Parts: sequence; structure tokens; C-alpha cells
Amino acid sequence: MRLVTCCLVALALVPADAVGTSAQESASSTRRSFVACPIVRDTKTQPCWLAEYEGELYYLGQQGGVANDFYPPQLGHEALVEGTVGQGRVCGGIPLQPVKVSVMRELTPACSTMLPAEDGIDAPPPIPSPRGPAPSWVKVVGPGDVTLYFDFDNDFFSLHVTVALTNLAKHAVETKASRVEVTGFRAATRLSNGKVLSERDAIGSIRARKVADTLAGLGVPVGLITVKAMSQAQPADGVNDAWNRRVEVRVE
Amino acid sequence: MVFENALGRLGVLNVSGPIDTAGHPFFEAIGSNARACVTCHQPANAMSVSVESIRERWHATQGRDPIFAAIDGANNPSLPQDAASSHSLLLNRGLFRVGMPWPPRGITPEFTIELVRDPTGVNRDPIYGLTSATPTVSVFRRPRVAANLKYVTSPDGLFNVKLGVLMDKDPDTGLPSSMNIMADARAASLSVQAQSAYHDHQGGRGPLPRAQLERILAFENQVYVAQAWDARGGSLIEPNGPSALGPANVARHEVHVLNGPKTPGFHFFDMWLQRSGAPDPQAEFRASVARGNDIFLNRRFWVKDVAHINSIGLANPAKRTCAVCHNAQTSGMDLAPGWVDLGTTNFPTWTESPVWSESSDLPVFKLTCRADAPPHPFLGRQIYTSDPGRALVTGHCADIGAITMGQFRGLAARAPYFANGSAKDLRELVDYYDRRFDMRLSGQEKQDLINFLGVL
Repeated sequence: MRLVTCCLVALALVPADAVGTSAQESASSTRRSFVACPIVRDTKTQPCWLAEYEGELYYLGQQGGVANDFYPPQLGHEALVEGTVGQGRVCGGIPLQPVKVSVMRELTPACSTMLPAEDGIDAPPPIPSPRGPAPSWVKVVGPGDVTLYFDFDNDFFSLHVTVALTNLAKHAVETKASRVEVTGFRAATRLSNGKVLSERDAIGSIRARKVADTLAGLGVPVGLITVKAMSQAQPADGVNDAWNRRVEVRVE
Repeated sequence: MVFENALGRLGVLNVSGPIDTAGHPFFEAIGSNARACVTCHQPANAMSVSVESIRERWHATQGRDPIFAAIDGANNPSLPQDAASSHSLLLNRGLFRVGMPWPPRGITPEFTIELVRDPTGVNRDPIYGLTSATPTVSVFRRPRVAANLKYVTSPDGLFNVKLGVLMDKDPDTGLPSSMNIMADARAASLSVQAQSAYHDHQGGRGPLPRAQLERILAFENQVYVAQAWDARGGSLIEPNGPSALGPANVARHEVHVLNGPKTPGFHFFDMWLQRSGAPDPQAEFRASVARGNDIFLNRRFWVKDVAHINSIGLANPAKRTCAVCHNAQTSGMDLAPGWVDLGTTNFPTWTESPVWSESSDLPVFKLTCRADAPPHPFLGRQIYTSDPGRALVTGHCADIGAITMGQFRGLAARAPYFANGSAKDLRELVDYYDRRFDMRLSGQEKQDLINFLGVL
């Protein structure tokens, strides 16, 4: 079973265009994409974060720090949950692993469920912070070839993104780069109920501009930076959508 | 030097030795209104100023002390200046008027501002108000502590890790700022703060001469304050006592050390937990301080709806301790830029309701966020506030009510607390946190925390 989980994880992390139709269908059956109120459960150790979809409780992750890969959601807001169904139960819910959780921007005061600690329901041991780029936020192909990932409709730079940008800028300056290409993407996400959510029109541009400005602030000459943005949302397949919310940076 | 206060004595240490205050620009008036830096940064008040000392000055001078200068020592410069009621925010809360240009220069704000309540009249004033020739929003804030500044100015890195944006840079050095210097972090360096204070508080004209600026900065950077003696706990600077206490210890510790198991926020108080069998009021007080430190470090509670804490990937709510946010060892500040919306100025968690409280002279504003802008993460798009805080600098809805947390030092010498001076003593400060986060502290636990804070 561990092997299956491993392969599904890998599948979810590869780009959409590299996945065949049958593989996509298989992946879709184990994917869950939904918008719901998050739920926090107290435990003897760290609080767990959960969400309910179609009568089933899913485990999203646990409270950690900003160096962790998983950034927990927020009560008071719905969350877009995109994950792959794992095995067993953790903290009372079926684990989604990997999982990407995006806090929806507007307030939803009804999202207020806090569950008390219960005997027999424990948080898993803390997950160490990743030593390198956290897969939810950054993919490093090479020192000058990096993709940054974002929450839905959001341009927030996680700690991992700021580290990646710092490294990119350092690489560009040290190698006396002739060109730094920044491309921002706008995405849509297909929910498990078939509905498609699209990010706002300008988000690809906002992300790309912010990345470019930050690189300039880190010392990359402005004249070297070209900024492109895809205003058309990437097609949603319900499997790889989280990885379309991205900015690609290429240093040449 | 030591100065008496209600809980004991404050120690003030100039690490460069005695200073001749005659002719020194920190201590003598250099602007046009007879004020000096020291007018509002008094050594006896931990280089800030207390309501008690402000009232003493009012009575001693019949309101003619320069601290009551109309420009910001009055509720409204247009009011009759000889009436105590025209200075009620300073006399009752230790608050100075801070006039912020609106909109901020070069920024298109994400929100509009309407006045709901303006008891001082300053925000409707034809000269100083929102519709004046130089539109200004007036808010009222406590002066910060001009001491222990190595902890305040220590930069955290290139990025503000909370917001994922680059730090502002010190205009003189080009290096990242700590962004922790003022209540709204609008000054990227002590130099910028001193120059703006010269104009805004002292009525200075033209640039502050470089030589004077450098003497001010040199003095500020060599002054350390901390409580040194407690009426119940005795000397706080005994050999083998807690190494966090007293100004010499504050001066010698390293900056930018993150609270952690091996580096607790205020070092170690274990030696004060040891109790002899016989009744000993001093030992009991010291044990209470040590327990208060333990609560500060280890008591977990649900931190909820605090913008820039719960909105940055740390979960809302997050089950944390005081020391997670007040994480800078020795100072109790935040190593990262520390402006957060604790809720002291915003409905519904504000420290009191300035709308309904007839005794409050604070203004109330209604801020409405544009539909295309990110809203305040926990208050949405329509916010009632007595001080928009950092949002008056950035124009961001997410910053409404965000105030930079202050250092914990010399608290006994400079009541009241919070940037809006709403907690008249440490009891009220602890009570606010207890209510705000449903900490369910017992009476003894509250007293332990109060005793702990009082000796810092």
C-alpha cells in the first residue's frame, strides 16, 4: 500500500501534459478537490486540520511553522482543498497527501468549527520542515530554472518562495545573467463535483510582476528582466490544477 | 542611575558613561516649540513617558510644559490650549496626536475612510482634518521606548517573512530595516525617526543638522533601561540572579536571538523557583515571577483572528504561547516586523468601545475596502477602528489595526500600556489578553504574569 501511495504522490506532482488519459482517470478517482469550511481539532500535542466533503472527514495536516510545507487554513474562511486520498485515518480523518490548501479570500463567518481533544484521537508526530524547497511551493530544476507555486487566487510568497527568489537573484547576479524571464500563469481548478473555479483575470500578471519586482529588489538589473503573463486560465483537469497556479523563472 | 516608580526602581545605564546634557541635542530644545527629545523620552519613565509624570508636569506648570505643545500634545491644536480638557488624551492616556497624510504619498489606498466619531474635532478641523488643504488622519499613540534599541533595530533579513515581501531599506545604508521602530513601522531607521520627530514633534524647520542628528543617535544607541529593584522582590541584579534582569544584562545580551527551549525569551528564572520552608515574602514574590515567566513561555492558548499572525500560514486559530509572537529574546518583541492586529483598536475586540464610551476621546473611523482588494483577513471589508495603524502607511486593508508590538522593558516606569494607552496598569493589560484569547487564567496566574512583567 505504501508503494501505491508513493506512486500517486509522484503522479500528482508531474505536469498535466505529461499524464495520459487513463492515468488521469485513475488519478481523478483518488483526487479530492472541494471547497469547504476547515475544521480544527485540538489534541494533546498539535492541533489537526480537517475538512468534510460528502460526509467524509479528511485530514489535511497539522499546525506547524512557516518553514513547513503545509500551511494550515483559517477559520472564518472557506478553503479550497486539493489532494490525493491516502490510507488509514489520521486525527480522525482520511489523509490527503499530498494536499494543497488555499484560503479563500472572502470571510465566511460560519466556518468556525473547533473540535475538542478526544482520547484516542491524536495528532501524528510533527513533520520536520523540508531541508530543500518545499514541494507545495517550489520546484527547482536547476539554479536558474525554478517554478514557484501559489495558493488559489493568491500572490502570497511563502517562506520557501522567498528563499527560492533569493537564490535565483544570487544566481543571476553571480553568473552575470543576460536575461531573466518571468512568466506568470493563471489557473482554474476542477472540483470533484465538476464545477470549475477560475482565478481572477489578472492574477498571472500580478504574480509575475511581483516576482519581477522582488528580483529587482534583490539586485537583479531591471533591464534584464522580461515579464510575461498568461491571462487565459490553464485548462482544469481536476488532478494537476494546483500546479498551474505558478510563476516560472528562467535565468539565462 | 535609578529612578523610583510604583513597583520599585528603574535602572538606566549609559554604556558610554556619564553624559553632559548641557548643549546636547537630545536634552535641549532644537526646534521651535521648546521641546527636546527628552521631553517625551524621560529616563525616569524608561525613555518613554508615563501618565503620572505627565500629570505632574501639568500641575507644576499649569499646562505650560512643552510636552503640551499644541501641535501634538493637545487633542486638537485648534482647541483652547490652557484647558486641561484640550489635552485629555495626553493627561489620561499618555497619547500624542499623530497626523498622517491621507492618502499616503504615492499610494492608492485599498479603502476609504469615513469619520464616525470625532470627539476632539481634529479630524473635522478645517486646518488639521481630513478635508483640510493637506488632508490628514489624526490618531493618538503612546511614545515608544528610546532605549535598548539594539534589539529594536536589529534586522531580520531581506524579507519580511510574515508577508513574503522585501523589507524596507535604511535610506542611509541601503541595508534592510528591522521595520520595528515605530508603532506603524513607517521609519526605516532611527535616523529617519529622529528627523521626522524634529519636524513633527519639535517644530524643527529645515533639515536637522547632521552633527546634532549623530549625537542624538549615538546617545539613543547607548542607553539601556530595565527595572533594577522591586519593592517586594528586592534587588533584581544580584549575582546568580536571573540574567534577564537589570539594564546591564539588557546591554550585554546578544541581539536577534529567537525564543526557544535553549534560549528562552527572558533567559532563566529557575533560581527563583527554589523556596525555603519558612514564610518569606521576598522568596514568594520571586517564585511568582518565575511562574509568570513559565506562563509566558509555556502556557498554550488559542491565538485567533490576529492579522499577520493567524493570516501568514500559521493557522487560524493557532495554539501557541505568548513567546511565539513575542519571540525576541531579552526584548519581548518580534524578530520579524512586529505589526499585528491584536485587536486593540478595531471593533469588536477593541480595548473599549470608543463609540459608546462617553469618557473616550478617541476617534472612530469606518474603513471600507474596495471590492477588488484583499479584505482584512478577519474583519472583512467594513471595519470600525479608532486607529488604522499600519494601514495609514501602506493603504492595505490587511494592515488595518496592525500595530508594531513594543518591547517589554521598564514597564513599571511607563504606564499606561498598549499603543492607545488603554490599559492603565499591568492588570488591565493581562486582563485584555485573558479576555481576547479566552486564556482562562486564574487569579494567581494573572498575578504571576503581572509580577513577571513588572520586574522586566
